[in-house]
Amino acid sequence: MSRLSRAAARWAVRLVPAGRRDWAEGLLAEADQVPPGLARLAWRAGGVRFIAREARLLRVAAQVLVFAAAAAWIVHVAWPGPASNPSTAINRLNVVTLLPVLAVLPLLARWLFGPAAPGRLARVLRYGAYAAVLVLLLAKASVEPMADNPAATPYLNSDASTPVKDGMISTWLSQSVFLLIVAVYVAAILAFTARRSRVTPGTLAVGTGTGLVLGAVLYAIFPIGLTNHTTNPLLPGYAAGLLVALAWILLFGGPILAGVVAARRYRAPERPEQASAEQASTEQASNARIRQAAAAGFLATAVGALTVTALGTATVALMPRAGWLLHGLYPGQHLTAAAAYIRELTASVRIGNYGLTLLFFPVIGLLMGLWAGAAATQYGPDLGGGPPRPPGYTPAPDPAGQPVIR
Amino acid sequence: MRSPSGFSAQTLSVLAALCEEPSQWQHGYALAMQTGLKSGTLYPILVRLADRGLLEACWQDEPVPGRPRRHLYRLTADGAASAAEALAAARTAAARAAAPASSARRPGLRVRGGRGVAAPGAS
Repeated sequence: MSRLSRAAARWAVRLVPAGRRDWAEGLLAEADQVPPGLARLAWRAGGVRFIAREARLLRVAAQVLVFAAAAAWIVHVAWPGPASNPSTAINRLNVVTLLPVLAVLPLLARWLFGPAAPGRLARVLRYGAYAAVLVLLLAKASVEPMADNPAATPYLNSDASTPVKDGMISTWLSQSVFLLIVAVYVAAILAFTARRSRVTPGTLAVGTGTGLVLGAVLYAIFPIGLTNHTTNPLLPGYAAGLLVALAWILLFGGPILAGVVAARRYRAPERPEQASAEQASTEQASNARIRQAAAAGFLATAVGALTVTALGTATVALMPRAGWLLHGLYPGQHLTAAAAYIRELTASVRIGNYGLTLLFFPVIGLLMGLWAGAAATQYGPDLGGGPPRPPGYTPAPDPAGQPVIR
Repeated sequence: MRSPSGFSAQTLSVLAALCEEPSQWQHGYALAMQTGLKSGTLYPILVRLADRGLLEACWQDEPVPGRPRRHLYRLTADGAASAAEALAAARTAAARAAAPASSARRPGLRVRGGRGVAAPGAS
C-alpha cells in the first residue's frame, strides 16, 4: 500500500466512531494478507463500505444535501429585489452571514464538545432547531420586502400598537442583534446536545417539552405578529384572557418547574473517591444540580421563543400566498383586496416584535432556572437524588470507570 | 432469510467457521475465505456478534515484520454456546424443510410442461 493510500486509510478510519475504529483498522490491515490484484481491491472496497456505514456517511450526506437545498431556496427568495427597498440589503446580509454560520457551527461544536450525544432526543432537538431557523430565515426573507418597503408605510394600520419605523439605523441594529441571537441559539442547542455536554437527557427533555408548550400557547395568542394584545382574530375575549394568563404563568413558572424537575432528576455520580471526600462531592453535586436547572430554564423559554417566532413569521409569510389562510383567520368576512393588503402589511411589521421574545425569554428562563436550581438544592432531598440513603451507605463504584458527564 | 435462532444465513456461516476451532484466534481474511463473504459483509457481522458479547477481538501480539498487526477474533463461551445452539436449530429446520419436499414427490403425479402439479391436499 502506497504512503498516500495509507494516509487516506488513516484519515478514513478517523471518521468512524472511537468504539469501532479497531474494526476498521483491522479490516484495512488485513488487506495486506489478500493476494494483490482484484481480490485486494475488492477487500478494500468492502473496507470503504464498512467505514461509510459505521461513520454514518449516508446520514451526513443527507443532512448536507437537505441543508444545501434549504439554503439554495432561501438564497433564491432572499437575494432578488429592488435596490430602493432596504429589505433587499437586509435579506442579502442574512444570507451572507447566517447561512455560513449555520453551516460551520456544527463542525465547531463537534470540535469543541464532540459529536451529537447518543439517543434520539439530542438529534431531534438539533434537527428541530435547524428546521426552525431555516423556516424563520425563509419566511423573513419573504416578509421583509413588505415590512421594510418605504412606499407601503402610508398604508400601515394606524393602530397604536403597530411599531413605528424610526429609521435605518435602528433597522440595521435590530438586524445585527437578530443575526447574533440566532447564532447564539443554534450554538447553545448544539452545545447542549453534544456528547461532552454536561446537560443530561432528562434536562433536555423537560426543558424542550416545557418550551414547546410555551411556544404553542404563544402562537395561539400571537399567530400573526406580536403586540400588546392578541393578534389571533379567531380567539374570543375570554379565551384570549385565559391564554394570556397561561402564557405569563408558563413564561415565569415554566422555567421554574423545568428547573426544579431537572435538578431533582439529576443524580450525582457515585464514585469511591467522591465518597471519601463527601463535602467536596456535596458541593459539586449542588453546583451540577443548579447547572441542570439553569439549562432546563433556558431551554424552556428559548425553545418557546424560537417556536413562536418561526411559526408566526411563517404564517405571516403565507398570508399573501395562501388564500385559505386569510379566509381561515377572518372567517365570514369579505375582505377587499385593500383590506387584505393592509392586514398583511400590518402583520408583516409586527413580526419584528417576535425578536423581543428571542432576546428576553432565554434571559428570563436562565434566571428562573438558576433560582429554581438553588431552591431545589437547598430544600430538596439528599444530593444525588432519590430517597435518603441509610446510615453507612457506601456508593457503588462506577462500573465503566469513565468520568461521568454532569 | 433468518433462521429460527434469529441469525441470518450469513451470520450462521460465520458462526460455523468460528466454531470449527473455537479456542483458536482467527483473522478476517481466513473467515472470508471459509464463508465466501466479502469484507464489507463479514465485518459488520463480526461487529454485531461482538456487540452481543458472542465474539471477542484482540490485536496480534507479534506481527510479521513489514506487515501491519492483524485483528483476531474468536467466540466467547457464551458465543460458542449460542453458536452451537443456533447451528443445531438451523440443521433441524433445514431437515424439516427438506422432508415435506421429498414426500411431496409421490409416484404417479403427472408433470405437464415441466411444471409439477401439487398433490391433493398439499398447499
